[in-house]
Amino acid sequence: MLTALAQPQKLPIELAPGKIVGLEGPAGLGLTRVGLSLLTAPSQVGTVVVVDARGGWFSPLAAWEVGVKPSRLVVVRCSNPKLWAKVCAAVLEGVAAVYAEVPPGVGESELRRLAALTRARKAGLALRPLRGQLPAGITHMRLQGRAVSWEGPDMGHGALTARQLSLEVSGKSLPWQELQATA
Amino acid sequence: MRTICVWFPDWPLEGMPDDAAGFVYEEGRASGGETERIAAANQLARQAGVTIGMGRRASEALCPTATSKARDLGEETRRFEPVVASLEDLVPRVEVVEPGLVLIAIEGSLRFYGGEDILLDKVTGTAGPGARVGLADGPFAAHWAARIAENEPNVVENTVEFLSRLDISVIDREEMIDTFRWLGLTTLGALGELPRAAIASRFGEEGLRAHQLATGEDRPVNPRSIPPHLAVEAHYDDPLESLDQVAFSARALSARLMNDLRREGIAPHRVEIEAESARGQVRRRVWRSADPFLEYSLTERVWWQLRAWVEGEGVGGGLVRLRLDPSDLSGRGRQLALLEQSEMGWEAYDANRPEAERALHRVQSLVGPDAVLQGERQGGRVPGEQVLWFRFGEEPAPAERDPLAPWPGATPGPAPALVPPEPMPIDIEWEGGMPHRVRLGARWEQVVNWAGPWRLLGRWWKGEEAADRYQIVTSAGAFLVIVRGQRTFLAGIYD
Repeated sequence: MLTALAQPQKLPIELAPGKIVGLEGPAGLGLTRVGLSLLTAPSQVGTVVVVDARGGWFSPLAAWEVGVKPSRLVVVRCSNPKLWAKVCAAVLEGVAAVYAEVPPGVGESELRRLAALTRARKAGLALRPLRGQLPAGITHMRLQGRAVSWEGPDMGHGALTARQLSLEVSGKSLPWQELQATA
Repeated sequence: MRTICVWFPDWPLEGMPDDAAGFVYEEGRASGGETERIAAANQLARQAGVTIGMGRRASEALCPTATSKARDLGEETRRFEPVVASLEDLVPRVEVVEPGLVLIAIEGSLRFYGGEDILLDKVTGTAGPGARVGLADGPFAAHWAARIAENEPNVVENTVEFLSRLDISVIDREEMIDTFRWLGLTTLGALGELPRAAIASRFGEEGLRAHQLATGEDRPVNPRSIPPHLAVEAHYDDPLESLDQVAFSARALSARLMNDLRREGIAPHRVEIEAESARGQVRRRVWRSADPFLEYSLTERVWWQLRAWVEGEGVGGGLVRLRLDPSDLSGRGRQLALLEQSEMGWEAYDANRPEAERALHRVQSLVGPDAVLQGERQGGRVPGEQVLWFRFGEEPAPAERDPLAPWPGATPGPAPALVPPEPMPIDIEWEGGMPHRVRLGARWEQVVNWAGPWRLLGRWWKGEEAADRYQIVTSAGAFLVIVRGQRTFLAGIYD
């Protein structure tokens, strides 16, 4: 087990060019902010894109808080599974990195094509399935949310300040490990 | 803006024999997958079936005895320079689009000459034989007026009506033309009659541009604000005398200008090239492009122009100063500022990939411009209010809420990453005024902690109810909720 106390951008997880990271788990376990923190470094060199498949739920405030450059963040809203892969492919042709929510109904073959395109274009891709898990063999690293606890509130007093995440990390050439981080 | 276009269709053919078929080819995509296409063909070649834009091999098959040569735009510019200079004696700031094609904005000169007809006669006379002259509102319409003109100048009084009769292929966007034809839109008029919002939604920025052209609007209606003082200038202590030195300086200064413009996310449609010789002679020429200049296209034009000056009348004593002044700037240009080299270094990032803007415009054509957005921070007390959204490629509207104001009572803590477009009802069980359980889908989650309430008074004069905000923590995550009267709404998920 690896234990790290870090700010979100200091999480010991990176989205390198040509790499794909999977983020799996229900909303609330902190994976959106983890995914956005992966865009911090690429946003220093190029445009980064969030593909919002929830119908306009994504808020850029969280991305700006974790260090993504506001002028380089573009949000694409697409929840249509028939269009989603085309949109992601078009985006990957030109931008540095993408955090894409995967709507239910996107086929495995489309995800594999996107993965190949990501490697070819040397972009970074973080995939967040909104339901279920990603097919095996697509991601270089897979993060699964296990639990979250918050610091700050005290029965009506205080306010949210920091959170403790528990994530399972696995992937190609990576031993399975559990990661806990304050973010 | 009333504009005269002077077009010499056979300009590239200069020097080719008239008594035998001949054509000039250039690099460029042609039908049949050919990479060389016909730029100009003389009458005998045209009679044999050769047309402009046709592939070189196909043309040679049609007309095997024809004389052919590759296009040399630098040489054509050198030959064209005296024509431009004589036109500029009539009207200042003639804009060169390419050798053999110039645009002249005439509004400022009409009073001097006493009318369009007189000025048109003078321009036609100065241009000489072989020129086709068109007059219309805006460069696009003027260009097509000249294309259609025969021996007499083609004067278009009603530009919208003139454009409406043109074939849809004049918009020069192959991928869209096929779709338009498939949709039954065969003329610009048919395209212009459709609602602009529908075209923009389906085809994105390119569609919007086509619709603007079809309705006689030759410039983008929503240009970015342009910072002043973008011109670049280079002084040479040792005058540049050889063509190689001039070529190098042209390339370097063009690259500098485009780098500066990239930082602003804009690109020019016009560039004035100004050169000063060691003997104090200053020459200027304006080049124009329907599409924003890219670095290579600007470098080419600067080089052609300098070559024309050096090889034509010569630059006495050598070149001592070169200045490039961009104008008619628009946000339609590349946004490579988004792709600048890293100051932090994202290793292995390939900075030569296609531009982000092109990719995102493609996405706009897929999902519509309202689904490709950027945000700016603005003031507000709940997260849903604190983002000012605007379409990618456009300027944001002025903020409704001042981001620098203190906003007392704003929701504390980190921002929720997920905010519903409108607060959505959520079921919460209360016990003794404290939240007890939250329903998430089909299951109830125990509240393990909570903070608040923070009172939101609302604009009572507009009938808004007061509300309370709570941060509610469960084992499945934390949520921002708003309690208004007896109803509870989800306003954010701290994901």
